[in-house]
Amino acid sequence: MVAGGLILALGPETAPLCADTPAQPALPRGYAGSNACRVCHPDVWLNFYKNPHFKTLALHKTPPESTGCESCHGPGLAHISAHGDKSKIVAFSALAPARVLDRCLACHGETLPRATIRRSVHTANDVVCTNCHSIHKAATPRYLLARSQAALCYTCHDSVRAQFDMPSHHRVNEGVVQCSDCHNPHGAFDPTWRMAARPHMVNQALANEEACIGCHPETRGPFAFEHPPVRVEGCETCHFPHGSTNARLLRRPVVFTLCLECHNGASGFGRAGAGVPQTPLTHNLANPRFQNCTSCHISIHGSNADAFFLR
Amino acid sequence: MTRILTALIVAAAALAQEPVAPTPETTGPAKGENTGDYNVVDSFETGYRFATIGGSLDNYRANVNYGNGIRLLNSFFSINSRDGHGKLFDQITLTTEGLGNDPYESANLRVQKNGLYDYNMNWRLNDYFNPGLVTGGASGSNLLDTRYTLQNHDLTLFPQSNIKFFLGYTRSFQDGGALLGIQAPAVSGDTIPLAGNIRREQNDYRLGNEFTVFGIRLNWFRGWEDFKEDSPLTLAPAAGAAPGAYFNRFQPYHGTSPYWQVALFSQKKFYALNGRFTYTSGQRNFVVDDLAYGLNRFGIASLETLTQGAADRPVATGNFSFSLFPSENLTIVNSTSVYNIRTMGDSSFLQIGPAFTTPSFVSYQYLGIRLVGNETDVNYQINHWLGFYTGYHFTDRNISSILAANTPTYSQDNQLNAGDAGIRLRLANGLTVTLDGEVGRANHPFTPQSDGNYHTFGGQAQYRHKTLSLRLASRADYNFNTTSLTSYSTHTRTYSAGGSWTPRNWVSLDLSYSKLHIDSLGGIAYFAGAFSPLVQQSLFLSNLHTATLQARFSLTRRVDLFVGYSRVQDTGDGRSTPTDGPAYATLPAIQAAQTFPVTYQAPSARVSVKINNKLRWNAGYEYYGYQDRFYNYNNYRANTGYSSLSFSF
Repeated sequence: MVAGGLILALGPETAPLCADTPAQPALPRGYAGSNACRVCHPDVWLNFYKNPHFKTLALHKTPPESTGCESCHGPGLAHISAHGDKSKIVAFSALAPARVLDRCLACHGETLPRATIRRSVHTANDVVCTNCHSIHKAATPRYLLARSQAALCYTCHDSVRAQFDMPSHHRVNEGVVQCSDCHNPHGAFDPTWRMAARPHMVNQALANEEACIGCHPETRGPFAFEHPPVRVEGCETCHFPHGSTNARLLRRPVVFTLCLECHNGASGFGRAGAGVPQTPLTHNLANPRFQNCTSCHISIHGSNADAFFLR
Repeated sequence: MTRILTALIVAAAALAQEPVAPTPETTGPAKGENTGDYNVVDSFETGYRFATIGGSLDNYRANVNYGNGIRLLNSFFSINSRDGHGKLFDQITLTTEGLGNDPYESANLRVQKNGLYDYNMNWRLNDYFNPGLVTGGASGSNLLDTRYTLQNHDLTLFPQSNIKFFLGYTRSFQDGGALLGIQAPAVSGDTIPLAGNIRREQNDYRLGNEFTVFGIRLNWFRGWEDFKEDSPLTLAPAAGAAPGAYFNRFQPYHGTSPYWQVALFSQKKFYALNGRFTYTSGQRNFVVDDLAYGLNRFGIASLETLTQGAADRPVATGNFSFSLFPSENLTIVNSTSVYNIRTMGDSSFLQIGPAFTTPSFVSYQYLGIRLVGNETDVNYQINHWLGFYTGYHFTDRNISSILAANTPTYSQDNQLNAGDAGIRLRLANGLTVTLDGEVGRANHPFTPQSDGNYHTFGGQAQYRHKTLSLRLASRADYNFNTTSLTSYSTHTRTYSAGGSWTPRNWVSLDLSYSKLHIDSLGGIAYFAGAFSPLVQQSLFLSNLHTATLQARFSLTRRVDLFVGYSRVQDTGDGRSTPTDGPAYATLPAIQAAQTFPVTYQAPSARVSVKINNKLRWNAGYEYYGYQDRFYNYNNYRANTGYSSLSFSF
């Protein structure tokens, strides 16, 4: 109350209260200027120069209503006059999720990573900007995430955390791989594999490839002899992308049972439509030497020298 | 209050179930120190890691791989201009983790000057023990170290201006052991794939620009991806082999994939539109030259096999979305996606030896994929506590393939009709519930595992009140395909629950439990010592339980204690021996692989003592235990730990 009174006494165009504070131009009606906020919110104010949004104050390129505190929280004079009444200002904690999205996208909407945010799974489920980003108490200087990235995603995705606890896993918990290496939390373009419908929220490497290719370029091809499921259906045909109890993130503990699920001659599947080729008569699967398919079919992601991926 | 906040932040950080080191407790004043016009925050943690391993060292190295030695466990440095007008920069932040021979290392650097430039770099190293040739619990073999190094650089010029420029460079490098695609005869009569040192390198250069014209923001990128793999191998004569016998392989594999990406965005009060077009002209040139010289049963022989060619895979994609906002509470989005992929090229195959003198040409197997999809989504917030969304997706995909020259083109069409819907509820203060489902029908799935006749449904409830957070989630994903052998079906169900609670300002608790059930039934056909194939079924069944418990205590103002426990257990299908399960398949090897009961656990503890405002001493211990029930040569137990000092300047 005292602070509010002080601000009112000083007026909205209060002179900078410390040397670090940029001077502010004339303000439109209802606006108090960012300097006025520091009296009641000193903890936010004192560290705001480390915040990426401080640029709006430092550059003097945007109009006052798009600068500093009031660019996000709206005009603050009524809030100050009402001695800090939360209902007189845009308080993100009280905003409906859709309104949070609208406010942030007003500045951050026209960018490639957020091009599909309006129809993303997160938006559909009311997971919006402030669920993941903490503008004033960020745990990461970049992207202002409320927690480290993996911890943040695990907050809702317990089952995914369980997958990364498996013995064989991408090194997310170890900090080498980030969730956003493969996923776009703001919504991704339709995948260029499978039927372009699922999975959701998966990034594309090199403009239009499956995300896995970004780190595993040797599987990309093009190959003289493509293993069609890799190209048509994607890596998930054989691998769990997060983690698995099986080596190499495979879907089955022993590889030949995985291969047999497709290579059974059943009609109607495969690119020829006449069935995926069955394992030949010479492959006596009772003999252990034929139970490790990829021991011989080494180039299983695609080969330039052999139609059966033997080299 | 500060302690509560600190406890919450640390508890939240611990949720990630990271390895016990580095220590999350920070050292020194979080606000840093002012130096001139800049504020500086600097801290690092250095110490010694140790690990003692019993059982399968190979499997430990494949799964965990922490070793002994001195480490720079983590570091943080930031310098910020206090007035936003630094001379050369306004911000530098550098974070590192695991430097000094840890198997997982990373560094992130950001340098930026307001309005002028923004540079971001990240560098990562993943040094893992390549699980060799053979999969799984039955006979896993872990053989070789492989090292992935990735670095990524992005520079944006004039980041706050209406005209921006982008420059980027990404390099990934793979060095170490891997399979070479070469098979050597063994004394047993088998052929054994050879592993050796491989060198793969990918460089991606890109530049772009963004500007606004007629109210539409345009963004374009031009990139060049270069890939090179060149892993020559020469085998010296083995003891007892014919004099001079050797094998040499030379297999350069180079290519470039120049690509374009053009995007546009426009956002108005009642509508928004965005589109993207990409084109990648993927090219690869390859030679595989095998030269073998030695003795065969007819005497001295030599054979050179030469395969060479060039490949093209142009990929074109387009995406366009039109969003309507008729009211504040209603959003309608229509999206169209197209992509077209063709894989084609030419190659030749030449064998030179006593019996081979003329070249033969190998036809590229043409593979073309064309897809058109359209989706309409509606999202409506009825009131402050109730909202819903629904959508319809149609996709048409054509695959055409030519397996060899002068053979007919196979063509296959697949249409997918899918719909989804969901509901959002804010039932009480802090309680939110979401329910959703999706149904899809594809008339010509590509593989038995592909989406055919599928449906999913799930729900999630979250409750937050002061220092308590609880969540429950469940999801089921069922897919059915009918084959001529049998129905193929796969069921996946996940259930998860978790919570965080800080009952006192000196203690916080985190719990998480997840059950993942997978059962997959499919028709298989195989030969097992007879001339007729066995047509049977394969049932894979997994029941994975995962639990995590973590607790953090601030024992005094100086001492923080953390204890954690993580357990993964696949109870399988309940059988006690590998071949004790349901006899869907008669081959014992298949029966044994239809479930894989395994236990993997990692209890941990850590203590961190604040010596003064700028110094902490930390020590931690983590046990890793792996045990699969049917086989024992992959089991291991490892005691790992560390002791470190955290400094702040």
